Amino acid sequence: MEATTETLQRTEALLEPWRERMQTPEPDRIYLSIGPDELLDVVRTLHDARWGYLSTISGIDPSAEDSEMEVLYHFCSGPIVVTLRVALSREHPTTPSVCSIIPSASIQERELIEMLGIDVVNTPDQSLLYLPDDWPEDLYPLRRDFDPAEIAKREPRKHSKAHTDSDKFVVPIGPQHPALKEPAHFEFTLDGEIVTGASVRLGYAHRGIERATQNMNWTQNLYLLERVCGICSHIHAEAYCLGVEHLAGVEVPARARVIREIVAGLERIHSHLLWFGVAAHEAGFDTLFMYSWRDRETVLDLLEGISGNRINYSINVLGGVKYDITPELTEKIYKGIEFLDERVRHYLNVSTKDTMFLQRTRGIGVMTKEQAEALGALGPTARASGVLRDIRVDAPYGAYLDFPVEPVVETAGDLEARFIVRLEEILSTVVMIREMLDKLPEGELTTRMPRRVKAGETISRVEAPRGELFYYIRSAGGETPERIKIRTPTILNLGTVIVSAVGHQFADMPMILAGVDPCFSCNDRAVEVRSAGSDPEPWSWEKLRQYGIEHYR
Amino acid sequence: MSVQLDKPWQRILDEVATWARKNSPWAIHYNSGSCNGCDIEILAALTPRYDVERLGVTLHGSPRHADVLICTGPVTRQSADRLRRIYEQMPEPKFVVAVGSCALTGGVFHDGYNCLGGIEKVIPVDVFVPGCPPRPEAIIDGVVKLLQKVDPDRTPARAGSEIVSEKEDTHGSYDRNPATD
Amino acid sequence: MNTILSLGAILLFPSGLFLLFNGIVYEWIDKKILARQQNRMGPRWFQPLADVTKLMVKEEIVPAGVNATLFNLLPIFALAGPLTAALYMPVGGIRPLLSFKGDLIVTVYLLSVLTIATGLAGANTASRFSLLGATRTLTQLFSYEAPFMLALLGPAIAAGSWQIAEINDYAGNHLLLLREPIGFVIAIIGLAGKLELPPFDAPEAETEIVAGAMTEYGGRGLALFHLGRSAELVLGLTLIASFYLGGVASPLAYLLKTLALLLGLAGFQALMTRLRIDQTVGLWWRYGSLIVLVQWLALFVLDMSRGGGIFS
Repeated sequence: MEATTETLQRTEALLEPWRERMQTPEPDRIYLSIGPDELLDVVRTLHDARWGYLSTISGIDPSAEDSEMEVLYHFCSGPIVVTLRVALSREHPTTPSVCSIIPSASIQERELIEMLGIDVVNTPDQSLLYLPDDWPEDLYPLRRDFDPAEIAKREPRKHSKAHTDSDKFVVPIGPQHPALKEPAHFEFTLDGEIVTGASVRLGYAHRGIERATQNMNWTQNLYLLERVCGICSHIHAEAYCLGVEHLAGVEVPARARVIREIVAGLERIHSHLLWFGVAAHEAGFDTLFMYSWRDRETVLDLLEGISGNRINYSINVLGGVKYDITPELTEKIYKGIEFLDERVRHYLNVSTKDTMFLQRTRGIGVMTKEQAEALGALGPTARASGVLRDIRVDAPYGAYLDFPVEPVVETAGDLEARFIVRLEEILSTVVMIREMLDKLPEGELTTRMPRRVKAGETISRVEAPRGELFYYIRSAGGETPERIKIRTPTILNLGTVIVSAVGHQFADMPMILAGVDPCFSCNDRAVEVRSAGSDPEPWSWEKLRQYGIEHYR
Repeated sequence: MSVQLDKPWQRILDEVATWARKNSPWAIHYNSGSCNGCDIEILAALTPRYDVERLGVTLHGSPRHADVLICTGPVTRQSADRLRRIYEQMPEPKFVVAVGSCALTGGVFHDGYNCLGGIEKVIPVDVFVPGCPPRPEAIIDGVVKLLQKVDPDRTPARAGSEIVSEKEDTHGSYDRNPATD
Repeated sequence: MNTILSLGAILLFPSGLFLLFNGIVYEWIDKKILARQQNRMGPRWFQPLADVTKLMVKEEIVPAGVNATLFNLLPIFALAGPLTAALYMPVGGIRPLLSFKGDLIVTVYLLSVLTIATGLAGANTASRFSLLGATRTLTQLFSYEAPFMLALLGPAIAAGSWQIAEINDYAGNHLLLLREPIGFVIAIIGLAGKLELPPFDAPEAETEIVAGAMTEYGGRGLALFHLGRSAELVLGLTLIASFYLGGVASPLAYLLKTLALLLGLAGFQALMTRLRIDQTVGLWWRYGSLIVLVQWLALFVLDMSRGGGIFS
């Protein structure tokens, strides 16, 4: 906690010029209300001091009657979150682009443009991110007065079909492609077998969940948010529950807190094993895929034992958990994770010793520490490049307060390092689950949760298998939330794919894509970076972005 | 494909064709906006515990090779067109299996502004497998049910499908563009 | 040979139905072993037969932007190549029906027809996956072909003949596996390259280019390529068994030796990660060709020192 106080003091010193507009609603949150014209100054101050990273930009349209909209820029450093609140007029919402300082903000700014109709001045790319190509102009799904019936009534937007330069050899991957089990559209420009440019169009899986949350009550949303992603369903629900419970001021029983993290641990193991198998499959090593998925069934059996379902276990309720871990289950879990521990050690051995496999992973898709920091990479992708970003360590939540996590960090930044980080994480998760089961506190599973949640807003950050998952939840005191903003880790990690892609063999693309463990259903955003071979800085977003985008997602 | 024939050798040929179709359903998988839950269960069906290859089911990447289109997820506005094209690129006889609640009706996303609803809104579906997500056993059961419907007396595109939407458009017209373009 | 006999040779044995059936069975064994190694049940015994039959009765779509004649003819060439090659080979442990001096060279070229047809088929379509697959298929052809050829010439030189039947007879008395182990290994790996088996499956790497050159083929065309591939598997195994494993003088020897090789080949596949095409080329030209040449040199020196001379 001392480190927290120190960071807090440093932050306050940094933001001294705006002190009178600073609020600290909670010990580790700083709100700073500023006008659009001051935004760039503050962002530059934070950026120049190398203070944390821009985690999320979220826009809110509180009500159709109100004359103001609000855009929030959340910066995170360790446990501290600095939120810059920029109020905009509803008539002409205009805010400057921060891309000149933080290039990776582009994606989230595009989201502001299409979802809320905010004019982001000088943003390098204004094309559609998750909405379909023929979405009508001037229709913004997250505005309060949005009416879905309007979609059919309005004129469809004219869009240029994906053009292909005749002298360029462009290979599409997706939305239907054996390497992608989820829809997304990548286009790689090839010179022979070498990739000279890459572009991504996401949004094939955009289901409008953020909008849907506003029409359902607090409990219903739990089930909706579980279905943001079938692989990490627990962690989404957990992030939501933590946030809402915090808003409502409800204390979750100790036993429930630990059970949540046990399930989160099992989910992490399932997700990493799944990734491991898929990555091996992308490399053409099907035997490894079959073996790792066979072993993954062990975790699914355990999850099924706890909750009754293999995927979407739905263990969370607001105020606690639904299912208990009985002594018989405890025995089963001990046995299961012991078996997995042994198997994962074997896989770790394979992925660091097998010469053929190493030919496809060692030195491939390298991302340096500087790139990882600049692009805001998260989770195992960042940790494989030597950037320690792990919410369980930086800002422990739930049971992690009592059970500290030992983070796994590698420095090589290549695919091999990402294999090692994820497999090592399974091993450390096994240790953690064992410890939690040993010290599982007695007591109730749930506490009473009010039907209405007090007005207010909160930020909930948890460490999903793929990195930091960020929820911004705002309540107006009613039965339904006023705004829920979900920022998934993939959105920040995808930028790194493009960085790694250019200059590599086309054959490495599926591996590099898999390397960040992308989850497109979590995420409905599009990124495009095209880069020419002569570009000295292949990842400079501003330059590349002007090529424009098309796509599909 | 199956012309009405009464000569015995032709009937035998027909039977052989049906036998082959029943025993070699090659599948292609398309996710039109699912949450991945169903997709990973479909993949799990390929792995050692379930191993659908013992029933002759293998997953292929090109629509030209496939007999069965396995779809998951509600159809989002952006992916509807792609789904239709994949269906059209498949050669006859072809079948569609919709896997998961979302693929049946749109599921929890049914009233989302970007979702059109279930798979049958876009292409005719032969077998529906409910569940959120269905277990691999259920998916295998769905495929087996489909195989029981493979019958030479039914015209392929209409095999058992009660859904009529856009059949006029899709039946008999093929997308000759390069597959998975 | 009279007409009936040659017709029989082409349609039934050693070429024709026998070869296709043999190929289908070997393909199943290969898949089954692979599946068992991956801890799965694997396909049923009639699976490849059902696959091919189904493809045969499936509708064939000729995609836009292709030369339709070529599109339809190439699969036929792909199958005709191996079927013709079979006439010069001791398939089933029976002496080759046709034989002339230098038929080894002709056979090796006939075995390449499948690969070339695959390459052309890919280049013929407008699909970008097919084009990439075609490029890779042909690149791979140029990389393994020379070492594979050199590995087959080793026994030929030892036997002092370029005629498959004579080499087979010679190999019956000399176990060349012991004398030219490197050549044997190269020949096996070359066969894996020819058949595009892992780790040399870059030309049809599913996760990158879908099905490579075959992406646009469905129905009959795909079935013919498929059959051509199975026939080639049998012929490649026969060739290596007869050259390196002491000849295939009887049906039993044929069965045992080719099956033993098939087991090895299937086991080898299960353990491999796919090589990128540049890695494949590098492997063959940097190591494959060189070590075969080194073996030649060693044999030559050994022979000279003994006062004999395999090159005499």
